Amino acid sequence: MNDQSLKILKLIGLAIAGTGLLLILLSPFIGESLTPGSLWWIEPVAYIGAGVFVLGSVVAVIGFQIIARRTKALTGDRTRTWSQVTQDYFDTFAHDMGRPLRRILGKQREARALLNETGEVTPHMVVELLNEIENQAPNFRLMIENVRVLVDLEDDTASPVIEPVDAAAIVRNVSDRYTPIARERGLELVWWCEPSEFGLIYGDGSALDHVITNLVDNAAKFAEGHVEIRMTRTESEFLVRVWDDGAGIAESYLAHVFDRGWTPELSARSEKQSSGLGLFIASSLTERCGGQLVVESQALNGSQSDAHSTTFTLSLPLDNRPLKR
Amino acid sequence: MTSKSAGRGQKILVVDDEHMSDLMRSVLRRLETDGFRPIVVAPEGPHLTGEDYETQALFALETERPSAVLLDVRFGEYDSDRFKGLSILKKIVERDSSMPVLMFTQYTQGPYRDTAVNASLSVSVSVDFIDKLASPEEVVLRLRRLIGRAPETIKIGTLFEIDAANAAVYVIENERRDLIREIQGMKLEILSELASAMYRSEGELVPFSRLERFSDGEDSRASLRVRIRELKVSLGRAVSREFGANELIINVRNRGYRLVNPRD
Repeated sequence: MNDQSLKILKLIGLAIAGTGLLLILLSPFIGESLTPGSLWWIEPVAYIGAGVFVLGSVVAVIGFQIIARRTKALTGDRTRTWSQVTQDYFDTFAHDMGRPLRRILGKQREARALLNETGEVTPHMVVELLNEIENQAPNFRLMIENVRVLVDLEDDTASPVIEPVDAAAIVRNVSDRYTPIARERGLELVWWCEPSEFGLIYGDGSALDHVITNLVDNAAKFAEGHVEIRMTRTESEFLVRVWDDGAGIAESYLAHVFDRGWTPELSARSEKQSSGLGLFIASSLTERCGGQLVVESQALNGSQSDAHSTTFTLSLPLDNRPLKR
Repeated sequence: MTSKSAGRGQKILVVDDEHMSDLMRSVLRRLETDGFRPIVVAPEGPHLTGEDYETQALFALETERPSAVLLDVRFGEYDSDRFKGLSILKKIVERDSSMPVLMFTQYTQGPYRDTAVNASLSVSVSVDFIDKLASPEEVVLRLRRLIGRAPETIKIGTLFEIDAANAAVYVIENERRDLIREIQGMKLEILSELASAMYRSEGELVPFSRLERFSDGEDSRASLRVRIRELKVSLGRAVSREFGANELIINVRNRGYRLVNPRD
């Protein structure tokens, strides 16, 4: 049905309803004129009028509804196109931004391979430099991805893509990505899930990947010796717990951990690059997926030296399909 | 773990217009050191487009019968070829829905990831996505998992080899394999469990809950600890070494155990 015929439908509805109303109002006169001197016809005419009014109203309301829905869909489409355009630009931007990094990274990996082939001992400084270049790659990946998600979060009409997801595989991939970095920082990064056969969940896989990546990235930045990722499940939820044995977060700061732009006040410690975006994005994405992200921390001050730690617990529904909700 | 046997000569079809770049060369080199046989699709001509790669890739799929495909999303800088990889993916899947395909993306999320998921993912298709910046180790690891067959034997560093099918542990010395007779039954099962976790992912820990069946008595952790110690002693004796608390099999903060490659 096109817009024109919808408008006509709406008008016809209104006209029928008007006729009905008119019949009710005029029923005394019509009844009177049909059988002069008797009141018998007045009532049936009024009833018929009421029926016609109801019919007309229904038609008009349906017309209105369809038009309203269509307008909404149209404006909705427009925002999606806008978002698509932004994403498209961003895609081009990320590709072009990545080009120099891909070249640097490629050269570094070639250099490493060539140095290995010579069989000679590579100077410590050189190894350090190569490692630094290699380890900045995941940083860059996360940064680009964070900005992209940030753009996406601004779009209210966007919704999570629900698909069957192997959550254990996601944790495994994140762990694999961060294991070399952790090793270089002298950290032990481990993960496991209980039960071991975790099975599939229904959720937004790339959002899950992104949230866990941000949590692990954060933990690897502040841990002193250990990072643990543990997955468990209950009847309706699955939980990912990311634990580190860093100095912890003072209680007064805990409430601000997920604020945009918040970074720990650790100016006394050496440079720790942190944009203050990661945890904000992690918690916003989690919320959008209908889950929860909470933080617990035992801070360093006052307690025994091994009693400090920080735990982020992500809980998400096992089945996030809208039909089942 | 980087033994030649890991890839067992499996062919990997590489479809990427940047296959000559340093980044891809390091991936190709890594595939070779891990025992895979990369087959690079490289059409010839003055003005190559995504179309040329598609034609040749589909041809190579028929003639080479690879075990998996490594496929880039983007071909060239033309706008029309920006998502060419997706159309190639679709055609590969149409021809062979069981073919494992690992796709290179700019980043893990994003429009083409969703498009790829929607366009290609019927139930049985095994497609995975990896960032183009990922390390060669990560690429090979992901590919290995996508192909999915667990190996018959798992090597622990260069010292030991576990043959789960034949329930045997060997010590490797100068290319020779000698059976370690001491390690059998439950000890072997524990070792296999730890070794397969390590094979799946370096950081994977085997939690106590999964090891409890190998223990008995009132204090199950203590009995497990004893078994692990015996295991370490047996393995150490075979190579005339003594493995310390932070070597070979380590107890991670009382969560569980994990196998690490021993130093040579």
